[in-house]
Amino acid sequence: MTIKWTLPFLLGMFFCLASFAQSRTVTGNVSTEDNTPLPGVTVNVKGTDHTVITDPSGNFSISANTGQTLVFSYVGYNSKESVIGTSNSVSVSLNRNNANRLQDVVVVGYGTQKRGDVTGAISTVDVSKTLVARPIADVGRGLQGAVSGLNVIIPSGEVGSDPILKIRGAMTSFQGSSTPLILLDNVEIPSIQVVNPNEIASISVLKDAAAASIYGAKASNGVILITTKKGSGTSKPMVTYSGNLSWQNVWKDLKMGELNALKYTVDAAERVGNFGISGAFYYVDRDSYNKAVQWQKLYGGSIGPDDPTVFGRDWYVQGSAHNQKMGMRTYNPYDYMIKEWAPTQQHDITVGQTLGKTSFNLGLGYLDQSGMIKPAKKDDFTRYNASLRVSTEVNKHITIRGGAMYSRRDKEYPYATSSTTADPWLYLYRWGPIYPFGNDQNGNPIRSPVSEFAAANTASLLQNYMNVNLGTTLNFTNNWNLNFDYTYSTQDETWKRPGTRFTAADSWSAPLARVDEEGNPVYVDSTGNVVSSTAPGAMPAYDLNNHTYTSLGGNPDHIIRSATDFASSTINAYTTYNWKLTENHQFKFILGVNRVAAATEWQYQRVNQLTDIINPQFNFAVGTPPIVDGDKTWESQLGYFGRINYAFKDKYLIEGNLRRDGSSKFPSNLWWRWYPSVSAGWIVSNEKFLQKQNVVNFFKIRGSWGSIGDQTVPNTLYLPLMPSGLSNWIGGNGARSPYVGTPPAITHDISWQDIETKNLGVDLGVFENKMTVTFDLYQRNTNNMIVPLEGIPLTYGTGAPKGNFGSLRTNGWELTIEFNHRFENGIGVNFMGNISDSKTFIEEYGTSTGVNSNYNGKNIGEIWGYRTDRLYQMSDFDLGSDGKPQLITLTADDVPAKYVGKKAYKLKPGKNGEKPVYQVFLQNSSNFFFGPGDVKFKDVNGDGVIDNGSALLSDHGDLEVIGNSNPRYNYGFRLGANYKGFDISVFFQGVGSRQVWGNGFLAIPGDQSSDGASPATFVDDYWTPDNTNAFYPAAYNNGGSNDANNMHVQDRYLLNMAYIRLKNLTVGYSLPQNLLKKVGVNSLRVYGALENFITWDHLRGLPIDPEYIDGYSMWNSDNYNLSRTGMGTPAFKSASVGIQLNF
Amino acid sequence: MRKYNYICGLGIACLLFISCKKDFLDRPPLTSYVDADGQFWRNEDDIRMFATDFYDNYFNGYNTSFTADYAPVRGYTFNDDVTGKNVQSNFESSVPSSRGSSSENAAWMSQYAGPTWDFAWVRKANIFIDRLDKNAKPNITDEAYKHWTAVARFFRGYEYSRLVSVFGDVPYFGRVVNESELDTLYKDRDPRGYVMDKVYDDFQYVLANMRENDGTQNLNKYIAAAFISRLMLFEGTYEHYHGLDADRAKKYLDLAVQAADLVMNSNKYSFGSDFKSLFSSESLAGNPEVILYRAYDAALQITHCIGSYSNGTETVGVDGNLVLAKSFIMNDGNVWENSSNPDAADFSIANLAKTRDPRFEATFIDKPNGSATTLLYEDKFASRDAITYIGKTYPPEWGSNTNTSDAPVIRLGEVVLNWIEAKAVLAQDFGETPVTQDDLDRSINAIRNRPLDAAAIAKGVQKTAPLELSALPDDPQRDADVPQLIWEIRRERRMEFAFENFRLLDLKRWKKLNYMDFSTNADYFLGPWINLPVEYPSALTSAAATKGNVKVKKSDGTIVTYNGTNASDMVGFWMVDNAKNRNSFTDQNYLSPVGQAQINDYKDKGYTLTQTVGWQ
Repeated sequence: MTIKWTLPFLLGMFFCLASFAQSRTVTGNVSTEDNTPLPGVTVNVKGTDHTVITDPSGNFSISANTGQTLVFSYVGYNSKESVIGTSNSVSVSLNRNNANRLQDVVVVGYGTQKRGDVTGAISTVDVSKTLVARPIADVGRGLQGAVSGLNVIIPSGEVGSDPILKIRGAMTSFQGSSTPLILLDNVEIPSIQVVNPNEIASISVLKDAAAASIYGAKASNGVILITTKKGSGTSKPMVTYSGNLSWQNVWKDLKMGELNALKYTVDAAERVGNFGISGAFYYVDRDSYNKAVQWQKLYGGSIGPDDPTVFGRDWYVQGSAHNQKMGMRTYNPYDYMIKEWAPTQQHDITVGQTLGKTSFNLGLGYLDQSGMIKPAKKDDFTRYNASLRVSTEVNKHITIRGGAMYSRRDKEYPYATSSTTADPWLYLYRWGPIYPFGNDQNGNPIRSPVSEFAAANTASLLQNYMNVNLGTTLNFTNNWNLNFDYTYSTQDETWKRPGTRFTAADSWSAPLARVDEEGNPVYVDSTGNVVSSTAPGAMPAYDLNNHTYTSLGGNPDHIIRSATDFASSTINAYTTYNWKLTENHQFKFILGVNRVAAATEWQYQRVNQLTDIINPQFNFAVGTPPIVDGDKTWESQLGYFGRINYAFKDKYLIEGNLRRDGSSKFPSNLWWRWYPSVSAGWIVSNEKFLQKQNVVNFFKIRGSWGSIGDQTVPNTLYLPLMPSGLSNWIGGNGARSPYVGTPPAITHDISWQDIETKNLGVDLGVFENKMTVTFDLYQRNTNNMIVPLEGIPLTYGTGAPKGNFGSLRTNGWELTIEFNHRFENGIGVNFMGNISDSKTFIEEYGTSTGVNSNYNGKNIGEIWGYRTDRLYQMSDFDLGSDGKPQLITLTADDVPAKYVGKKAYKLKPGKNGEKPVYQVFLQNSSNFFFGPGDVKFKDVNGDGVIDNGSALLSDHGDLEVIGNSNPRYNYGFRLGANYKGFDISVFFQGVGSRQVWGNGFLAIPGDQSSDGASPATFVDDYWTPDNTNAFYPAAYNNGGSNDANNMHVQDRYLLNMAYIRLKNLTVGYSLPQNLLKKVGVNSLRVYGALENFITWDHLRGLPIDPEYIDGYSMWNSDNYNLSRTGMGTPAFKSASVGIQLNF
Repeated sequence: MRKYNYICGLGIACLLFISCKKDFLDRPPLTSYVDADGQFWRNEDDIRMFATDFYDNYFNGYNTSFTADYAPVRGYTFNDDVTGKNVQSNFESSVPSSRGSSSENAAWMSQYAGPTWDFAWVRKANIFIDRLDKNAKPNITDEAYKHWTAVARFFRGYEYSRLVSVFGDVPYFGRVVNESELDTLYKDRDPRGYVMDKVYDDFQYVLANMRENDGTQNLNKYIAAAFISRLMLFEGTYEHYHGLDADRAKKYLDLAVQAADLVMNSNKYSFGSDFKSLFSSESLAGNPEVILYRAYDAALQITHCIGSYSNGTETVGVDGNLVLAKSFIMNDGNVWENSSNPDAADFSIANLAKTRDPRFEATFIDKPNGSATTLLYEDKFASRDAITYIGKTYPPEWGSNTNTSDAPVIRLGEVVLNWIEAKAVLAQDFGETPVTQDDLDRSINAIRNRPLDAAAIAKGVQKTAPLELSALPDDPQRDADVPQLIWEIRRERRMEFAFENFRLLDLKRWKKLNYMDFSTNADYFLGPWINLPVEYPSALTSAAATKGNVKVKKSDGTIVTYNGTNASDMVGFWMVDNAKNRNSFTDQNYLSPVGQAQINDYKDKGYTLTQTVGWQ
C-alpha cells in the first residue's frame, strides 16, 4: 500500500474542479455590548470550514468572498451573522445570554467540527479559563482536573519535571507505554513543557479510538491535540503582554517528629531488650532522651536553626572507645532545607499584525521558576519560548505559511550525588532529629543533606527544542482543498553534572578529642563553656572531624556530560472535500498521508577525580580511563488515512475512519496494519417530537467503535537482540573484555497489540443551552496483549517468550457539566464540573492464581491485605505472676499443626470461652511477639488463626482486597463569576479514592526506628501503657520492612490518598475601556491568584503529598529513593499577582 | 488552465515527496548484535565475545563489589571451620515453597555452595554449541571450531557439575529446547550418573580439543584440566563415599588424575610463590603457581570487597574456631598431641603462629582481634600492609568494596591436592597402584616447600617438615573409617583452602557433614587461648561486666565470666558469645530440595518432578 491508490483518487478529484471564486481578507473586531473586546470568538465563513478565533483584543482576520456570511459564535453569547459587503472591515458586538456552545468549533483530527456534530469522544479545554493567567509552569499542570478522562498527576515539586498524563485508565498493556500522543499543530512534541501556555488557541483531547484512530499507531493511548494561535491582529500591530509574579511555598506544614521520635526509638529498642544505645552515627538511649527533654526546656525557646551546634550543650560523647555521639538538641530539617516563598516570574509578549494578505504572529515567553532547595547555590528552572508564524495568501488558491518555534528549558539544580536511589532527600528522611544541621561551633558546616546541597556544584539539564514548519493550503474550489505541512523538529539535550568532594564537620564518623595549643585535653561543662578539668560537670570536649570525606573518585567526585540529539521530520498532507448533495445529505471526505521519521543519538562522558572542585571541568578531571557510552536509534511511521462524514438532515451523523499504518518498529511482515473506526450520532433534539418544548435545546446520542494497534512495545520482543558491552572480566591486555550476551527467547509470530474502544455518549443542552451535560460510557479492550507464554518451566533456562496471549479490559465513565448564565443586572456566573472513573481488569494472562500475581480477573492496582481489628491491650493477655504477658510455646490445642512450636504471648480466651486467635504467622522477626499495643488482626475467615492461607485466590486466608492504588473518581470543578470588569473563579481538583500501602520512614511507623526519622504523626500517637487509646501500635523497629510484624499490609494503616485541592483561586479586574482608550490601551486586567493553596486529605498530617507515586521522579521513574513513600522534593503552593495588557 | 496545472503539479509533488522512499520503514536496530546468520557468529572475534560472558560466572575469584557469591571469606561461610555468635546458621529443614530461577543473574545458594534450580547457563552453553555448529562452522577453521566447541562444552559440563552437586539428579538437556517441546522441558530428573557421564564426555572432548594456549587470561586446556580435576574429584569421591556407583567413581577419579597429570606434567606452573602472596597481591601476573587469576583494577571499576573483610576491622560474623586452629599441623610435621615441641599445647595465637604450619601465620592475624567472634581473625586475603591500618583509615585497596588485589581462580596447589587425593582413593579402594613417597613429594611436600616471605621468616615461622609415607602422623582425632594417609591429605586441604571454596563441598563428598554438628566437640564454640587482661583488655568493660557476656574456659572446663572484678582470672579459651549449635540435620541435607511450587506446576501439567532424595 503506497502511493498507488492515493494518487488516482486525488487526480480524479482534480477533474471535479469547479470555478474559482474571488476571496479577500476581511478584518474586524468583536466585542460585548459594553464594548469589552471578546477574545476566543469563533468566526466562521458560513458553509465552509474556514474558521478563525479572535485574539485577546477581540480582533480577527479571515479571508472570505463578498456575499459570504460570517458567523460569530462564543460561549455564553448569542451567535451573530454578518454578510460581507464591500468593506474589508467588520465589527460586531455580541449579546449575552441565550448561548449555544454547541455551535463552537472543535478541533478534531485533521480538521474541525461543530461541537454539535461531533460523534467521537472528544473533550475540549476552555483555554482562557484553564490556562491563561495562572501561575503554572506548563500546560500539563494546567490541565489537571480540567478535562474528564484526562488524568494528570504531579508526583513531586521538582521544578522542570513533566507531569504524568494518562487518558482513560491506569494502563493499556503490560508492554509499552500508556502515555498519550501529544501533538502541537499535528506534530508530535517530546514534552508538553515545550509549549508556551499563552500561545495556545485550543486543546482537544481525543479519547476513543473513533476520534484518535486517524492518527494511527501512536494514538493508541489517546491524543492531546494542541493548536497555536495564528493570524491574529489587524493592520495595526497588536501587542499583548502578560506578566505574573508568584511566590511558592511547601504545600503544607510538614512535621517530622522531634522529641517523641527519640522516645519512639528508645521505646522500640527497650522493647526487645536493648537498653543500650540505638542509632547509626548519632545515638540515643533512655538517658540521652531525658537529657534531650531537658534541653528542650532549657533552650527550646532560645536556640534557633542559625545557632551553631555546641559540644557539651547540644551533644556529648560516651562509650569506652569515645565514639558514641549522643544528641540532646533536636533539629527540624525543614528549617534548613526548604526555601520559603521562593519567587517565580513569567512574562509573555505576543505581537500580531496583518498586512495586506500576509499576517504574522510573534510570541516570546519567559519563565523563571525557583525550586524548593534552600541551601542550593542554584535551584531553578527557566524557559524561553519564541515563535513566529507567517501566513500569506499568494492568490485566491494558494496560501503559504511558515513558522518556527523555539523552546529552551534549563533546569539548574545542586548536583550532590549521581545516585537516584539515595539522594539528599532520602537522607533528610532517614536520620533522626538529633542529627545536626547548620554549623558546628568552629564555623564549619556539619555534614548533612543540607551541607551537601549547599556544597554541591550546579548541574544543568538544558533542552533546546526547535521546529520549523512550512505549509501550504491549496484551495481548488470553495469546498475542496489540500493541506500540506512539513515540520522538522530537533531537540538537543545537554546534561552537565559537575561534581565535587565534600568537606564538612563529619557527623558520620567518630569525633575527635579537642585539645588546646599544648595538646592538652580541653574540658567543657554542660553549657559548652571551657572549664578546668576538675570543675564540677567537666567533660573532655570533642569536635566533629572537619575533613574531606568524599574519597578520591568517589561519588560525586567526577564530571559528567551527556548529550542527546533528537530529530524528526513530519509530513502531513491531506485533502478535504465538502459535498452537499442536497440540503439533507451532506458529505465530507478527507484523504491524507502522514509520514514521520525520527532518530535519536546520545553520548555520555564521565571522568572521575576532579583536580578543581570549585570549577569542575573535563580539563580538571584526571581519573582514568574516562567512561564513554552512547547509542543511536531510529524509527519511522507512514500512514494513509481517509475519513467520511455524512450528515442527514442535521439529525443523523455518521463518521467512518480508515487508516493504513506502517511502523518501522516491527519486522517487515508486520509493518502494515489497518485501523478502522466508525461513529454515529443522532441529534434527537432536531426531531420534531422534541421541538415543542423549551427545556431541552439539544440532545444527542452518539456511539463509536474503533481499533488501534499499539506500537510502543520494544523491538526486543521481535528480534533476538544480544546484549553487548564490556564484561566484568579484565583480559590479558589489562582492559575489560568485550562480551556479547545470550539472545532472549522470542516468538517469531508475535504481532501488534490491538486497542479496541467502544464508546456511548450523550450530549445534552438545557435551559437555552446555558447548561450542557456530556456523559460517556466506554470500554477499552487491549486484545492480543503481549504477555509471557504460559506454563514454561524453569528448565527452559530463560524468561518465557512473550506473545499475544493476553487481554485487558478497562471500563469507565465520564461526566462533564457546564453552566453559564448572565443575570439581567450584568452578573455572569459559570460552572464547569467533571468527574470520571475507570477500572482496569486482566481478562487473560495465564493460569496463575496467586493473589499478588497477574491472575485473570484481577483489578489492576488492587491491594491485598489484612483487616485490622484494633490494638491489643494488656487485658487481652493472660498475665503471669509478674504481671506481664507470658511467652508460651503453642501447641496443637492453640493453633493448626503448621504453627505448633511457635512462640506467642498467651492470650485470654474470649468472653464466652472462645479459643484465642494467634497471629504467629505474622511474627516475622525473632524478637517480635504480638503483645499489648500491637495490632490485632481480624480473623476474616474464622479459622481461628491469622494467616494468608496459600495466598491463592482459592485460599487466601485472612487476606482481602482492601484498596486500590489507582486513582478513582478524578474530578475537577470551577466556579466563576464576573461583574463590571471584576471576575473571580475558584477551581478545585481532586481524587475520590486511592489507597497506597507505603514504604519507608514516612509511611511505616517504626520502619527503621534505629535510624530515627519519623513523622510527628506516628510518634505523637503510638501505643504506650500511658496512651492505650493510640492510633499507631507500640514502638517496634521493623528493620526497613513494610510488610512484617505490626506492619503487614492492612486496612488501618493503609494510606488514604484521596484528596481535594483548591487548585486555583483567581480574582481579577479589567479596567474600564473608556479609561484605557485614552492611553492607547485596548484592555488591561490585573489579577491575583492562589495555586494549589489548600489541600484537604486523609493522611493524618503525614508529610506525604497525596499525589506522590512511590519511586517516581524525573530522575528515576521506578526506584527513585528506593521507592520510599514521600521522599522527594515536596509539592508546593503559590500565591501570585499578574497583569494582562493589550495595546 | 495554467494555474490549474500549477496547482496540480504542486499537489502531485507533495505526494511524491512523501512516498518516494520504498525502504522508508526499514529501520533495523543500529547498535545491537542480532542472533542471526550473517549478523553474528561471523568470525572468532564474535565467538570470543560470546565466550567471555561465561567468564565472570565461572571464574568468580573474589567476585565484584559487595557481591560475595562463590567468593572466599564472605561467600563460603557455611562450614565447620567457623563459628558465629548465638545459634550457628541452620541447615534447611523444610521444603521451600518455591526454588529456582531462569535468570543468568540468580544468586547462588550459600548453604549448598552452588546454583539454585536454574538452567539459564545450560541454555547459554547449548546455544553456544548450537550456533557454532549451525552458524559459525563455515566461517572458521576446523581447529577453531573444535576449540570453541570445547570451550562451550567445558562450561556446560561445569554447570551440570554444579547443579548435580546441589540437587543430585537433574534433568539433562544436551541441546537448546524449544518452548513448544513441553514433554522435554517437563521431563523428570535424569539420574546423577547419567548426567555426570554426559559431563564426563564433555570433559573428554575438552581435553582432546581445547587449545593449549589461546592468549593470556583466556580459557585453555590447562585451565580447563585444572577445573576438571576439581569437578571429577568431587563426583568420583561423592559416588564412592556415598556408595552410589563404584564404576563411575573410578571412571571419574581416573579422569581427575588424568587431568591433573596434564597440568602437572606441562611444567608450566610451579610453587615459586609464598602462600600469602597468592591471595593478597596487587597483581598475580607471572605468579608461577597461579593457572588462572582474576584481575581487579580500580580504574576499570572492577573491584571487590574480600580484602576489606580480611583487613582486621571489618566483621564477617563467623570466624575460625579452635577446631580449625587445632587441625593445623605442627611445623615438625606432627599433630600437636604427638609433637615433641614443648609449646605444642599452647593455643595462644602468638604461639600457634610460631609453631604451626606457615599457612597458619599467613591465614590469621597473630594477635587477638575483637572484630572476630573467636578473636582469631582471618587475614589470608589481606596483605601484611593492609592490617597496619587497623584503627586508621584504610586505603581503598583494603577498605570497603574498592579492593584491587587479584584473585587466584585456580592454582597448582589445588591441582596437586586433587591429584594426590584421587590417587590415594584409587589406591585405597580400587586396587590401583599405591601412593609413593615420590607422589607425596610432588604434591603435599611440594606445597610445604613453598618459599616463606621475609615477614614470616622474621617472626620465626618455619616450613613444615615433609610428609613421610613411612612416618604418617597418628592423629588421635582421626575418624576410624579414614585411613591415615587420606586423613593427612584431607588435613592438607583444610590448611591449604581455609576460608576458600572447598570445605563444605569436601565434607559433602567425604560424607562427613556430621562435622557440622557442633555438639560433638566443645572446641567449636571456642577461640584460641587468651590472657584477656594482657592481650585484649578492651574487652573487659563495665558494660561487659553488666551483660556478663565475656567468658573464658579453663583447661579443666571451668567457665569464668567477667564480672568487673575478676580481670586477672580471665585467662583461658575465649568463648564465643552465647554460641550454640545449629539445628539437627540428617542425610537429606547433602542435597537441596526443589520447590513445592515447581512440583505442583509439573503435576498441574500432567508431568512429574520428583522431589530430592530425603525430602519427599
